[in-house]
Amino acid sequence: MSHPCDRAVEEMYFYLDGEMSFYRRVRIRWHLRKCDSCCGAFDFEDGVKRLVREKSHTEPSPELIQRLRTLIREEAGDDAER
Amino acid sequence: MADQANFEADAMQFAPQLYSAALRMTRNPADAEDVVQETFLKAYRAYDSFQEGTNLKAWLYRILTNTYINRYRKAQRRPSEVELGELQDLYLFKRLGEQSGASESAEAEVLEQFVDADVVQALESLPDNFRMPVLLADVEGFAYKEIAAMLDIPIGTVMSRLHRGRKALQKKLWHLAEERGITGRAT
Repeated sequence: MSHPCDRAVEEMYFYLDGEMSFYRRVRIRWHLRKCDSCCGAFDFEDGVKRLVREKSHTEPSPELIQRLRTLIREEAGDDAER
Repeated sequence: MADQANFEADAMQFAPQLYSAALRMTRNPADAEDVVQETFLKAYRAYDSFQEGTNLKAWLYRILTNTYINRYRKAQRRPSEVELGELQDLYLFKRLGEQSGASESAEAEVLEQFVDADVVQALESLPDNFRMPVLLADVEGFAYKEIAAMLDIPIGTVMSRLHRGRKALQKKLWHLAEERGITGRAT
């Protein structure tokens, strides 16, 4: 990999996480427009981020949700009695 | 200042997300339910100190994270600081690319074949101090600054743990892909 590619990969997560100044963002975008190999790598890493976000959710049981509501209402009732 | 009477209406919408995050932290449904219940109770009691108009989700996650850390990390049920070996950048992308016969878009196609159980297993394989930043950044979408505040660590530490945690997660995904024969290897 050439030098601009190394730098792009080094800063990749800051770019994908939206944790980058406008100026550096533009510089990366400019490089991605010219470089297919970095473009592929960035897309892939973004895909991994999306995979982790979309495929890691576990629904709670309806009983837990009900228990939380009861907990809050009981606590509110205790407050009213004081 | 927020009104306690509105707590249920305001906060319950975040309960499924908070439970799922708690489960990824504790890796155990019974513990996750305990952590979420304690979180909601603490949040309700402190709700009049919540500044209305600021980020309620972040506020709740801060309580969740503290509750988890206080319960489990301080109880020393597992070592709090584990180091990970150095891994190559673009770990999974490069492993997949090395497969002979892989076509242009083969790497992206492999990603589509991972199922929820793979991602959960990979996340839960990370040591606690790396799992937390990855969970808060990649699953919950919090900014580095917010994560630093939640975990009470410097922002530079968040960045380095996130970076190394993500690579370790990719290594685990790679092993799972190999086990399941979905590495895109030409047959």
